[in-house]
Amino acid sequence: MTETLNIDSIRTNFLNQDYDERHFELTPEQIVDYAEACGETALRYTDPEHPDFQAPPTFASSFQPGKRLPDGFPKLPGLGMDAGKAVSPKAPMRPGVPLVGRTHLHDVYAKTGRSGRMTFMVTRMEVYDPDQLLLATADTRIVIRERPTKVAP
Amino acid sequence: MAVSSIRDVEFGAELPVFEPDTGLANVKRFVVAAGWNGPRFTDHEAARKEGLPGALVPGILSQGYLAAMIHRWAPEALIQNVDTVFRAPLIVDEPCSISGVVTDIDEEAGRVEIDLTITNAKGETRVFGTAEVKLPA
Repeated sequence: MTETLNIDSIRTNFLNQDYDERHFELTPEQIVDYAEACGETALRYTDPEHPDFQAPPTFASSFQPGKRLPDGFPKLPGLGMDAGKAVSPKAPMRPGVPLVGRTHLHDVYAKTGRSGRMTFMVTRMEVYDPDQLLLATADTRIVIRERPTKVAP
Repeated sequence: MAVSSIRDVEFGAELPVFEPDTGLANVKRFVVAAGWNGPRFTDHEAARKEGLPGALVPGILSQGYLAAMIHRWAPEALIQNVDTVFRAPLIVDEPCSISGVVTDIDEEAGRVEIDLTITNAKGETRVFGTAEVKLPA
């Protein structure tokens, strides 16, 4: 017997509803450290005096929501692992600008293979500036390998 | 030679291989800047106590390496999207290299697609991804 997530029910009850909001503000030093550690050489990411100084395009991937999943979400029937991230920068993130990141469950789907069913959940954070301009989206793919539950004798 | 225009790009072209800094000091600098500071990324012994093979290079740093590699190849490139799959962890202090190949070109839209792969010293693929990039005409 295997305990599984009800994908249709999750889609109906949780998809595309913001469940978390967090605030961020970047400093020039933070941007330079992030960029140089990645190996960036473009001056718009490494030189605070550059007229187009901004965070590197993957920075939004580092923003973490306060909650991993929405309140009331079903118990996961296995270990959730970070399977990947996708980031889409839309406009520059500058230092000293208050940012807000709102997170929703963007997709949920299952794949079945020889080792059983794996469920993939995609959470998406959308990052906005104070004028509500969308600066970036950052997706996190969590994969859950569903494990068999113990059957009572 | 750095790429400055989409006209410089050919289908199937390989980006110069990039060997990023996976050293402990660099990873520490990154995780502090990213707000991800924790022993599993900065302390081999603590990571091993968690059952890991050693301190891990965070997935978001792997993703940052991919973007940096693109800018080293084309400094004016505007990254539209980077989708990264973490197949297996990269270990801190273990060398790795990144290869990239142009898999699609839309000259009218000024857009190219690049497949990127991070391999460890044994040649095992640890992380791979696809980037969509805009280049000047």
